[in-house]
Amino acid sequence: MNFVIVLLALLGSVWLLAVVEGWTTTGRLRPAAPLLSGLAHLGRESIVPRTPDRVFFETAPVLLLIVAVLGAAVLPLAPTLVIADLATGALFINAALAYVLVALIMAGWGPNGAYAMIGGWRFLGQLIAYAMLIVMPITAVAMRAESLVTTVIVVSQDGLWNIVYQPLGFVLFFIAAMALAFRAPFDLPTAPGELGGGVDAEYTGVRLAVLRLARLTLVITLASATTVFYLGGWHGPLLPPWAWSLIKTLAVAVSMLLAGRYLPRIREADLMRWCWTLGIPLALLNIIVVGLLVLVVP
Amino acid sequence: MYAQAFFVAVFGLAAIGFGVVVFRTSSMVRSALALLFSQTAVGCMFLAMQTEFLGVLQIMMMATEMSIMAIFMVMFMMDPGGMGGMDMTHQKRFSIGAGVVAAGVAIVVAFWADWGPVTAEAPDAAMQTRALGMELLGRSMLIFETAGITILTAMIAATAVAIPVQTTANSADKEDTE
Repeated sequence: MNFVIVLLALLGSVWLLAVVEGWTTTGRLRPAAPLLSGLAHLGRESIVPRTPDRVFFETAPVLLLIVAVLGAAVLPLAPTLVIADLATGALFINAALAYVLVALIMAGWGPNGAYAMIGGWRFLGQLIAYAMLIVMPITAVAMRAESLVTTVIVVSQDGLWNIVYQPLGFVLFFIAAMALAFRAPFDLPTAPGELGGGVDAEYTGVRLAVLRLARLTLVITLASATTVFYLGGWHGPLLPPWAWSLIKTLAVAVSMLLAGRYLPRIREADLMRWCWTLGIPLALLNIIVVGLLVLVVP
Repeated sequence: MYAQAFFVAVFGLAAIGFGVVVFRTSSMVRSALALLFSQTAVGCMFLAMQTEFLGVLQIMMMATEMSIMAIFMVMFMMDPGGMGGMDMTHQKRFSIGAGVVAAGVAIVVAFWADWGPVTAEAPDAAMQTRALGMELLGRSMLIFETAGITILTAMIAATAVAIPVQTTANSADKEDTE
């Protein structure tokens, strides 16, 4: 039952995010647009490029969707509303989202096209930049909760959310999450206007529809992870727990969208340099500060 | 018990199947990702054997490692897509022989070794994670820290070696070209 509810919540959030995305880009609020656009994709011809690596080409969009849903499976909407409350939840989400890279390499290599391939390999470089900034802030979150269980992490924030307790970790995680979701300004693998769509370039029709759905699901999963790790998860007054989870998740997702709209695309070399020379020392500092707080403050 | 054995067998066969694909394909990226999915199947075997932390860790680590290996294979092989019809294998007889012997030795060891008594009940996943943490920060700390520092030193040394030496002559060349 939890599985169906979480899946529906995920789908609903994706729809809302798509509506907001359409609103910010076209200036018109059209609630039916994502559905119509999806149907239009289903009706179009789904072209297979010449001499593709067919297995990769077909698998990539589906794999991206599966890993986004798997990541969401360990994130609780309410104390008992979680698909799998794993003992290693905070590690599992990293494991699931590591396969975003695999899916993008497949999508890059599969169609046998130059732009797609460059996009795919670019994401590998992007991973080397952001990976530590996902893992190290989560380490500090787990240190405070003294657990990797996501529901325990939310309970540990009762009274004081992690965004206040470890603001540095939140900032680093938020930026790294945007890089993982390859949203602007970190949309190097797709890079519209420069790579002609990159990993998206050779996909059309139903395959493109799945790819777009997967990308939006990934954003929601990462926004939900930010909510669980830093914004107190289901905690909040008056409204039921699941409502707070959804409101916070959507707020984070929309803020990611807006941050991307007003920032120019970052260069791969700059991203790598800033992540390693500034981001990782700050993440280490965050771990030290949280460690001291955990030991000193009861 | 039977369900557990079933899933261990299924993932084990998947691991072997993907392992075979590694050598059957000529595409370097296919080969690297087949190895990745073989290792992922091993991670799933860990999960089926109730060692959750090890399983998740295996599944996580391999995704990045094998992808990085894939780009190096693409960079260094002359026919990375396997579409040029190049034969990139060598010493076939020797490697088949070595493979058969190694598999035989592994099977003999698996059947003849004394694996000790079977644990009646595995501790729950949270307890396992805690016990692993205590082990890593206790008795085994020195070993892991030494290994970590050694690998870090090797990485720094390799990077330092890879950076071209900037002499006065070639820095002048560089300025000219710029």
